[in-house]
Amino acid sequence: MSHARESMSRLRRRRPAFWAIAALVLLALLGPWIAPYPPEQQEDVAGARLLPPLTRARAIATVEQRTLIVTHLRPTREGWSFDRAGRRQTLAATDLVSDPSPRFYLLGTDTLGRDLLSRLLYGARHSIVLATLCVALALVIGLGVGAAAGLAGGLWDETLMRGVEIVMSIPRLLLVLVCAALFRPSNFVLLVVLGCTTWTGLARLVRAETLSFRESGPALAARAAGGSAIRLVLRHLVPHIAPVLAVFAALRVADTIVLESAISFLGLGAPPPAVSLGDVLASGREALDEAWWVATVPGVLIATMVLVVRSTARELFRLQDPPSLT
Amino acid sequence: MTGSGPSVEYSRVIGFAGRRLLSAIPLLWGAATLAFILVELAPGDPFDRLREPGVSVRTATRLHEAFGTTRPFVVRYIDWLEGLIRGDLGTSWSYRQPAAGLIRDAALNTLILAGPALALQFAIGLIAGIAAARSRGGLTDRCISLLASALYSIPSYCLALPLTWFLAVRLGWLPVSQMRSIDAAALPVLARLFDAARHLALPCLALVTPSAAGIALYVRDQMRTAIDRGFVSAARSRGLGHRQAELRHALRVSLLPVTALFSVALPGILGGNVAIEVLFAWPGLGRLAYQAILARDLPLILGCTCFWSLLVVAGGLAADLLAAAIDPRAREAQT
Repeated sequence: MSHARESMSRLRRRRPAFWAIAALVLLALLGPWIAPYPPEQQEDVAGARLLPPLTRARAIATVEQRTLIVTHLRPTREGWSFDRAGRRQTLAATDLVSDPSPRFYLLGTDTLGRDLLSRLLYGARHSIVLATLCVALALVIGLGVGAAAGLAGGLWDETLMRGVEIVMSIPRLLLVLVCAALFRPSNFVLLVVLGCTTWTGLARLVRAETLSFRESGPALAARAAGGSAIRLVLRHLVPHIAPVLAVFAALRVADTIVLESAISFLGLGAPPPAVSLGDVLASGREALDEAWWVATVPGVLIATMVLVVRSTARELFRLQDPPSLT
Repeated sequence: MTGSGPSVEYSRVIGFAGRRLLSAIPLLWGAATLAFILVELAPGDPFDRLREPGVSVRTATRLHEAFGTTRPFVVRYIDWLEGLIRGDLGTSWSYRQPAAGLIRDAALNTLILAGPALALQFAIGLIAGIAAARSRGGLTDRCISLLASALYSIPSYCLALPLTWFLAVRLGWLPVSQMRSIDAAALPVLARLFDAARHLALPCLALVTPSAAGIALYVRDQMRTAIDRGFVSAARSRGLGHRQAELRHALRVSLLPVTALFSVALPGILGGNVAIEVLFAWPGLGRLAYQAILARDLPLILGCTCFWSLLVVAGGLAADLLAAAIDPRAREAQT
């Protein structure tokens, strides 16, 4: 336990990686509160469609009970004049229900006039939470299978590791795509499928660690004291290999973020109202000739998230094994 | 090196290869069975999409009979497995053609994209990694490491969109998608080659960049470790030049783990990067599998999965053999 605390304090001294991962977790937790608008809000599809980043717009409510998103709003003698959907338009003052309210699109809007920043914040939360849960699931399965194989040995070991090899030989992306398409895509299906395809490498790692741990002092002592196998794993093996698991988990989180976005990008992710970064990217692909920002910004966000998580994994690795990587 | 002659060494490598090949068979069988069971477990009627809304139940039953889906599970499984051994993957439901032929054509197209991409990414990655390791801590090292760390984190489908926007849409230098122009068949040979290269450029660039960056970082780390382990000092003390010592001794040791990397890269890139192929409308294996999945074309899905698994297993095999060929220790450990 004190080992973990020491690692944490050493991690905290590695400022950049620590702050970056803290920011990412905050983003995941606080995204919906930071987001300026609801991610699905379409006030005026024609008016708000593909507004470039840093657009200051106004929302005006008309007597026909429509909301118009307009730019360059100016009062004239008869009422208001503004730009909407690329055309200069005017509206009589009597047609307005209330005063115009401001809209600011920091990263612009997508093809349906939704605020890109809000969608990205929700999408990032979706990616991070889903990836973390998947890896948690994978940790449980991988730890179970690996420890069982390592502790039981013999035929059990042989059978389990053969199973691991079989699952490994089916490509992960294809497996996930098949499952996502054959079973109706949902967050739950994605979670289970991604989790159940991530554990294989982990099981191998845990097995190898278990084999070397089995004959070590603490393990022999615990078995001599008559503890059960589960107790041995949870109380002694897990703390012993926790640092290795942490590195592995961080790397898998990065992979899973990429994979999940790819699946949504291919249209097989969780359906709306779930917002995935892959969905945002796919909508950017449709508007590639009109708007560069919808296709570019989500990619930058995905890459940043992957970079942060991977650097954290690297830092964690260095904490345990300082001389080999400098 | 022991006293045994080269022929003994070779026969050991062949024996090792034979054992590894044999061990691949149950693996492939397991993967194929797992895929079959998975597809069977899927809920719903696979012909829902083939059927028009007004089609009667009788026609639907006839469809089921025509595709043989009314027979019991075990019979279909054995039938399918038997076909698989003969290389017959059944008839694709959506194309109404033998699935094996479709997969073969798609695999060839993927090879056209993957071959150059694979060669380029390893060439660039190795050169950049070696250059970085040699100028340890210097400007070259820092530039390459920084650039590679950044590029490595960009998934290829994320990179593809800005690249397409800039090079194809904005500048109009390269075509947006497809493998060749519509009128390509009418062009003279050289122009046709140029046309193919232009279509290849964007997907290739998107595939190569992140992978090359990853390889560069890996090679750099491996080579630095190798240099630290004293191979170079030992070689230097034997009177070798610095350059020769680094390249011949440190590089050889650090290439070993890179062969493992090759085995990981091979199925991924040969199997086709699904997102990239879909994005660029490249008629390769990844796109074929994707279309099969969307159409619930079960024979084709199974065919693609099995073919892909074969690639994964073959990649692992190739890496082991490569390692055995380079490193005597790996040979010892495996025999």
